[in-house]
Formats: sequence, structure tokens, C-alpha cells
Amino acid sequence: MLEHVALGQSRFMTPGVAPDPRGILLGRYGLMVFPTLEGVVSWLRLYSAESPLDELLSGLEITQVRTPLGSREMVVRIPATSSYLLDRASRCAQLVGGATYTGTSKHFVKYRDDRAPYGYDANEIQALPDGAAFMVHGDGFVQTYGKERELPLDKLLFRLSRRRVPGGDKLRAEERHELYLVVAPGLGEGVIRYLWRNRIPAEVGLVTPERRSEFDEPGRARSHILFRARDLPPRILELFLATPGVAVFRPVSQNVSVEVGFAHLIDLASCQSLFDPARFYLFWGKGDRVDVVLGPLELSGIEHLTRVDIDLEKPATGDTMKLTQIDAVGVPIEVAPSLTPSRRVVAALIPIEQAQWLKRLVYFLPQTSLRGHRVALTDRGILVVANQDVDVIPLGAPLAEVAPGLLVPLGMDLVPRVAPEVLARSLGHGAGVYTVFPPGGHPFQVSDQALVALERRALARVEVAAADVLDARIEPPGDPAVVNDPVGRFALWGFRPPKAD
Amino acid sequence: MAGRELEALLDRFILPLVKGGELAVGRPIAVDELRMFEEQIPHASEKVVETDEARADVLSDLVVRPPALVFDLDELSLAAAVHNLLFLVHPRADSWSVSGSARRRVIETAQEMAARPLTHSRSRVLARHALLHNLFDLTRVDTKVSWWTGSATFLGQRPPGRLRAWKTVRRVREEQTVATYDELLGTVEVAPVVSAILRRTPLTHLLSMGRDGPPLQWEDAVFLLRDAELARAIAYASVRGTEPRQVVSAPARLAAAFEQMLERAPHAADVRAVAAFLVHLNALLALGETGERDLGAKSPLLSAVLSPERASQRPRGLATFFAVPAAAALVDPLLAAPPGLSEDAALTERWTRHRAQVVEGVGEAVIETLAGRLRRHVVPMLESHRADHG
Repeated sequence: MLEHVALGQSRFMTPGVAPDPRGILLGRYGLMVFPTLEGVVSWLRLYSAESPLDELLSGLEITQVRTPLGSREMVVRIPATSSYLLDRASRCAQLVGGATYTGTSKHFVKYRDDRAPYGYDANEIQALPDGAAFMVHGDGFVQTYGKERELPLDKLLFRLSRRRVPGGDKLRAEERHELYLVVAPGLGEGVIRYLWRNRIPAEVGLVTPERRSEFDEPGRARSHILFRARDLPPRILELFLATPGVAVFRPVSQNVSVEVGFAHLIDLASCQSLFDPARFYLFWGKGDRVDVVLGPLELSGIEHLTRVDIDLEKPATGDTMKLTQIDAVGVPIEVAPSLTPSRRVVAALIPIEQAQWLKRLVYFLPQTSLRGHRVALTDRGILVVANQDVDVIPLGAPLAEVAPGLLVPLGMDLVPRVAPEVLARSLGHGAGVYTVFPPGGHPFQVSDQALVALERRALARVEVAAADVLDARIEPPGDPAVVNDPVGRFALWGFRPPKAD
Repeated sequence: MAGRELEALLDRFILPLVKGGELAVGRPIAVDELRMFEEQIPHASEKVVETDEARADVLSDLVVRPPALVFDLDELSLAAAVHNLLFLVHPRADSWSVSGSARRRVIETAQEMAARPLTHSRSRVLARHALLHNLFDLTRVDTKVSWWTGSATFLGQRPPGRLRAWKTVRRVREEQTVATYDELLGTVEVAPVVSAILRRTPLTHLLSMGRDGPPLQWEDAVFLLRDAELARAIAYASVRGTEPRQVVSAPARLAAAFEQMLERAPHAADVRAVAAFLVHLNALLALGETGERDLGAKSPLLSAVLSPERASQRPRGLATFFAVPAAAALVDPLLAAPPGLSEDAALTERWTRHRAQVVEGVGEAVIETLAGRLRRHVVPMLESHRADHG
């Protein structure tokens, strides 16, 4: 039935075949015959993992065929652009129980194997019987097939179930770089708030399925919220995977994503040309469905969608305060030496006369000290207040805090020793106010707002002149074009060649 | 070129050659006339300074501090040689009044003018490149005017108004075509002079390797690779483009010139420098793909240019270009990868994937053969170096 092709052989019985540059017999197409559809899927799965299917799609055809005895088989036809390509296809087909043939239109001969490295040629070609679409010539047999129906690859791709990958929900850092979340509308606000609080950069959009359901409420669109989250930490990913109503997808290409924990049987990135670039495809794992979002995806940052609380009934300002008269039986507050251990110095009151010292000291202070002090210039002196983590400038009278904002000279205390809140009320002291008892004289109050960071106060107004910006760009060079000047009929008249030395 | 003053030559030919614009080509310049132009250089300072400033602008794209440029006889001679070559494609140079021997005289003159000393001076190389950087970009607009009784073609000249008058009545039609380097300077007749000019300005030659032109002699140009700033500019110019074939076009020509170099008797240090440069270009191609989502995937660039289906369309030198790192690894591992590669994990992964794909694409036989040829030049040097250092 078949003859081995010899190196350099140029005439063949099989129509439409020729040797390629390596001498291997090749037709225009490769044909792979599988007993079942599972064989075809397994072949696509194997092949797509090794090489992009995109290069085959221009001529790929999956057909269900019927033998004259009525048995059904599946045939995959691919363009045989080179023997390298067909070698790979043949090897994959052999692994999943298929046979490979090559030919151009109606007659296909067995593709090369170890016994015939340059391929096979049929030793006899017969006319095809009625109803037969093509004939394959194998080892010791000839079989005709009639076409029954075609199965487009894109339909097959959408019908195949996704398989669960063991440990597939444990993603590496680079796999978590960009993930898509499909969230039920009721959970949307919670997920936005959760992502925002955890500082996850994310974008969100509302997507509505094109297909309507009979269970939809009239006038109300059935929609999902689609998130694109970046660098999701593993703990948050685990939480989302375990939350009903939240599905996590991992992108396999620009516009195709597969649910985390699942994988499509066929490498979807290898057949990118089957997917419309203007749409976004979500391959669900559990539901075995494919959602198509009319793209391109336009998502908005979640930071603009966090919850806003507006209560128009609530007064905009604080409570109204009433000034009460001091009780006639009360005693005046006085400063007396303290009996308690000395407190931490939190402020200093520098007399106006020592302002020059402070100015000089400013030049020597480190940046942390400058930033850690706040200062207010009052008619009673310069009040310098330090933050928790810095020591106060050692000038003027050091002040300690007996209650928040209530400053007394170091080593002194206020008598009578009443509770701080009682004291504060009687002094009209409250939040945002510093009440200072100077070493001599009456107490005074300074608003917290009057205190300015020393690093800002320290600088006198600096005159900065606006500099002119010079344009240093170089004009892009033009295209040089030759223009011929008129030179007259005798252009070389008097032209002397170089003298030979 | 009325009056044949240097100022006019600078204004109408040399300045447009540097800055772009219309280059007026007139009667050829004789050697005596060139001497006269040289004497006029101090008196045409305004145009000379303008030319030097334009050349400095050209160089500012290449180097941070362009050297001080002074227009002198060197530049004048090279510009005059180009002018004379362009005269040979002037329509009058093909008329009955210009005989074959007259054309040969013009070529001899151009050859004499182009015979300036070869240089390894950085300033001189940059100065010459700034003058001739547009050599491969020269074009000429040719206009064919047809009317109801006849037609006429004007090469690089504007058709007279009388031929274009009454367009509808006389059924005047104008067709414009653009002549490029191939027609202007790529003819067999002028090829030796163009090669001589390019040997004087190797930087121009290296930066234009993506274009058609005479083959490169690495021995003339290898000193440029030892200047880090220029080598970087050459490397980036070599891998310019978006289409895979466009990206590898210049590297393939550089590698083809390297193959030719290995057949001669170059210095071993020169061979090492060129091999290291080609390895660096390979690394740049890998670096360009470090932003890919899957770093372990096959390179689309290598798949496109090395696919067995397109083996017959591969430009010459392409297989050698991609095989250099693997061949260098067999000869001297120091040459096989650019220094610092291992500090970037993404680049290392991409580089490893590229190398594996190259072995598949070009085959081990090509790599072994190239390694054998490299070994002939590099190994004796290594052995003598080891002997010197005990």
C-alpha cells in the first residue's frame, strides 16, 4: 500500500505532495485522525502547551467524519507550513492515540515515522467513491471518510470545562500582581471599603450581562461589580476566595482571565486571535460558564468611591458655650512649690529680650528639633512647645504640664489641688488652648492655632526672583533633498582632473 | 552655484547637508577650485560658524559634550567629494556633452578629495560624522510632466511654468517620484568613492547599519567600541525599530561584517571587542523583553526572525549574530555574557531563555563552527596572556 520515500525522490504517486527542503514528503495540510473528541481536545491541550495555536488557526479545521461502515471519528486538519511543525503535531497526536497524515485535497498519506524518515508515498491511487470527502492511505489499509459536521475551535474552547488545579489558589507574588474580582452588587461597598482600608490599589467598574434572565426584576439591571486589584496580599486573597459572592480571576492574557484555582484545558494565551480584542472574557471555574464583557474595560479608582456620610440635619459648628461666674466662695488659684516628683518639661516661656538668643540657637538646631518645636510670639514672651519626642530648647523658663495644655513652671504646682477637669473648667481651659502660668504674673492663654512650627517660623521671608526658562531644544533636522542647479550644456568645460604626482 | 564662492557652497550645499533642506548641486568642483575654497575659509566666518553650530547640534544627540568643531580642509574635501558624486546623477552629466572619460575624471577627482587620512581621533571622527550623518538620507524629487502631445522628466529640478500652464486644456499631469540613496550614491560607478568616504567616517557607517550601504570593515571601526559613550550610541542605533526584521537588520549586518573579519587576520583584541559588542546587542534585545508578563515564555522576536519557515528569508549574518554568545561561551566564558547581567534577575531569566531558543533556532552546528573560527583568533591571545602572568 505504502512505499518509503527516498532522499532526493521528486516524483510521487500521491497528488499534491512534494519534498520540503529537508527532503521530507509534505502536502499542503496535515491531517490527524482521532477515534473520539477527547483525543482532539487532548491533542489541542498538548500542542498549545508547546507552541502557539495562533500559527495554525488560519487553516485549522475540526471535523466529525464517518466511515463507509458508519463509525464516527474526529479529524483535525492543520496547515503544514513546515515539517518541523508537522513533526511536533504528529508527536503530540501519537501520544494521545491519533494518527497523522499529510496531503493537499483528497488523498492523504501517512506522515513520516522512524521507519520512513522521509515519509511515505501511496503506490496506488484510486478514485474516491460517492459521498467520500477524502481518503487516507495508512500502513496496510486505505480508508475513506465522509464529512458529517464541523466543530469550530472557538465554540469548543468555550464549551470545555475548566479543571481544578491542586494548590492553584496559592498564587506567587508575580501572579498576584494583577487580579480581577467579580463581586455581587450587595458586597460591592464592603469590598471597596476593605480594599481601601488595606491600601490595595484597585479600580472598579459595573458590568451588566448582555443576556437577560426571566428572573430579573423589571426595570432593574442584573449587574456585577468588577475590580482590578494589584498586589493583593495572600491573606486578603484567601479571604476573598473563601467569601461567597466574590470570585477571583487571574489574567492569562490582555483580555482573558480564568478563575483562580482553575485552569482551562487549552492554553488560552496560545490562541489569542480567537478572542475579540474589544471584549473581556471571564472563564468561570465552578459555574463552567464564560462571561463576556463588552470592552474595553474602563474602571475607576476605588479611592473615589469610599463611603461618604452626609447629615444635613446635624449642626455644622460645635456646641454653644456659656461663661459662668466664679463662685463667690471660691479661692484664687496660686502657683506653689510642688511636692510631687518633677514632671517632664514640655514647653518654655522665653522673655522677649532673649529673642536674639533663640534666633542664634535656631541656626544650630538639627532638623528634627526644628520640626519638633512649635512657637507663638505673645506680649508675655515667646512660648515654645515641644513634641513628645524632642527636648525643649534650654532657654527661658521651663514649663511642665499638669493637665493637657495646662503649663506651670517646672517644680511648681497649682493649689488648691483640685481635679484637673475641675481646674480646667474654672480656668475656661479646653482642648486647643494652652493655659500658661508664668513664673511671675497672671496666667494667660494661647490658642493652639497660634503655635506655628519653628521650622516655618524660623525663616524670614525669602525674596526669590523668578528665573527665565530658556528653551534649549534643538530643532529637528529637516530631510536633505538634492536639487540640481542649471549648469549649461558644457558643465565640464575647463574641468581639470587631479595631477598625477 | 553662482560665483563659486565658498560662502555660496556652504550656504547652498554644506549647510543643508548637515541641517537638512535643499542641497544645490552644480558643476563639479575641481582640485584647483578646492584650494581656492580653502583660502576663502577665514573670509566666510559667518557661514563657517553656522555650519559648526549645526554640526554641534547634530552631535548633541550622540554625546554629552560635543568637541569644539572647526571647519577646515578635511571637511571641505569630503563635502566636495560628495558634491562631485551627486553631480554624476545630474541630468546634464548624462547628456551628449559629457563623455565617459569626462565622468571618469569627475570620479577620480572625487576619489582624490575623499583620500583624507584615516583617523582614530574622537574629535575628528565626530566632526566628520556631523558633516556626513545625512549621507544615507539624501533624496531627490523627480517630476514627470505629461501633456497631450508628449512628456518630459525633470530630475531634481522644478518643471518650467510654461509646461504646467493650462492644465485642463493641455491635459497636464505631474507625477513625482523620490530617488533615494540607492539611485543617488548606491550605483556601481561611485561605490568605491562612497566606500572610501565611509572609511573616513566610520561612526556614520556604524550608525547607519540599518540602511543599505557598502559592507563594513570592522578593522576601521573597532576603535569606536572602546569609547563607552560612542559604543552606547552605536548599540542603541543598531537595535532601533519596532518590526522584528527591522530590529535585527543592523545587528545582522554587523555580524556579517564580523564573519568577514574572522576570515582575515585581525588583532585578537579587536575580535574580542567586536564579539563583546555583539553579545551586548544580544543583551539589549533580552533587556527589551524584561517587561513581559511571562519571563520564561519564548521570545516573540526570536520566534519571528529565527522560525524555520522563514529560514530562506533570514538576512545574512543573522544566525551568526544570535550564535555569538553561545560560541563565545565555548571559547572564553568572559566574553559570553555582558558584565553585571546576573545583578538583574529578570534580565538573567530572559537571557537564559533567549540562549536556549537560539540553540533551537540556529542549531548547534552553526555555534560550533563559529566557536572554531573565534578560537583561532582568541585562544592564542589567551594562552600568551596566561604565559605572561604565570
